[in-house]
Amino acid sequence: MTESTSMQVVKQYVLDHFLAGEDPSKLTATTPLITGGIIDSLGRLDLVLFLEKQFGFELESHEVDPTQFDTLAAIDALVQRKRARPGQGA
Amino acid sequence: MEFGWTADQIALRESVIGFARRSLKDDVVLRDKDGVFARELWDRCGEFGIQGLPFPEEFGGGGRDVLSAVHAMEALGYACGDSGLLFALAAQMWSVQMPIFRFGSEEQKRRYLPRLCAGEWIGAHGMTEPDSGSDAFGLRTRAERRGDEYVLNGTKTFVSEAPVADVFVVFATIDPSKGPLGITGFLVERSAPGLRVGRAIHKMGLRTSPMAELVLDDCRVPAAQRLGREGRGAQVFNDSMEWERACILASAVGAMERQLEATLAYARERRQFDRPIAEFQAVQHRLADMKVRLEAARLLLYRAAWAKQCDRDPGPAAATAKLAVSEAWVQSGLQAVQIRGGYGYTEEYEAERDLRDAVGSMLFSGTSDVQRNLIARSLGL
Repeated sequence: MTESTSMQVVKQYVLDHFLAGEDPSKLTATTPLITGGIIDSLGRLDLVLFLEKQFGFELESHEVDPTQFDTLAAIDALVQRKRARPGQGA
Repeated sequence: MEFGWTADQIALRESVIGFARRSLKDDVVLRDKDGVFARELWDRCGEFGIQGLPFPEEFGGGGRDVLSAVHAMEALGYACGDSGLLFALAAQMWSVQMPIFRFGSEEQKRRYLPRLCAGEWIGAHGMTEPDSGSDAFGLRTRAERRGDEYVLNGTKTFVSEAPVADVFVVFATIDPSKGPLGITGFLVERSAPGLRVGRAIHKMGLRTSPMAELVLDDCRVPAAQRLGREGRGAQVFNDSMEWERACILASAVGAMERQLEATLAYARERRQFDRPIAEFQAVQHRLADMKVRLEAARLLLYRAAWAKQCDRDPGPAAATAKLAVSEAWVQSGLQAVQIRGGYGYTEEYEAERDLRDAVGSMLFSGTSDVQRNLIARSLGL
């Protein structure tokens, strides 16, 4: 699976902030981040703020539900939707 | 690397020292005993421009950069022994005025900042609850949106200046299942229906900064009083805590310098075994330790303020400064008492009050262990 540019950016953020020192190859597009215990509730807040700053959109409360945030693939899909429809909910 | 201050910054420090010695002198020993907040001194600080130091002139502030503001607060700690008053001033500046400035609407900034900068109003910050301290985002206070209002229900504790505050920054959750992303900030005025200042809380130190519980009982707050976006209160809180960690202990560094000078003078004057106790190496070493702690604390304080000013990864620097300065202040206080012996344990020499005041610094704005957690996190742990 080819990773989009945005997914690569998010992946690097997760590696730097939540998996420092770990083998990067273990983080795939489908690795469970929240249910797998990699990102806790505070980390989720940081990730949301990072996405908003990095990609220039605002995420609404219902968009940051853990189910939409559990994998890099899900996060990337959210990013793509937001970029395609700026100012609208996902 | 430049360690010097500009002529303007030096003049500000001298001006603050002169102001404090002239206008903030009163019987702090008695007020500390009775836990009395000095409203008159607060007003004088407002007139002088202390509360407004780092805020733009258009909002009633002094337009100073962060380092200059920290330098001025350090000078205040050096020249004024009422650490409770100085804590109250700094807490308002960094945890009430700063979040309003950074996250408030234009209308909120225009309504609150000029009043707070001038000392006309007093602001307080309510986050901690009886069951959520270091686990701040485990708060239970609820905010329910009803039309153009939010209705707040819950109890906040350890709210500094609650008995005298005119406006409160409070945090509540719109949905506990969202965790930190459900938390929302609000500006609640004292006159808001359903807001009540609860029981007074009596403390070991910083007694001239009054503390109480804050009860929100169907407290109705206009939606326009929301501080920042719905569900982003944790961001507002984290941001203001980072400012606090970086800057709130500036006055402690000044207090440590005052403490060192007073202790040195005492050691030179106090004679035992036919000579000043300053001639004993054991005493000299304690004074040397006080000096090293002071200088290290000062450098870390300036480093954190600089990082905030330049926005250069300030989080770890702020946590490091908060941890190091608070623990240095307590150790400095212990040495000051020890060198004075039994006299240090009495109210007369004021060393015991400085020590009691210092202990709180290891608890507020995140305990020392919370600072260690933040530092460890920055190391990728």
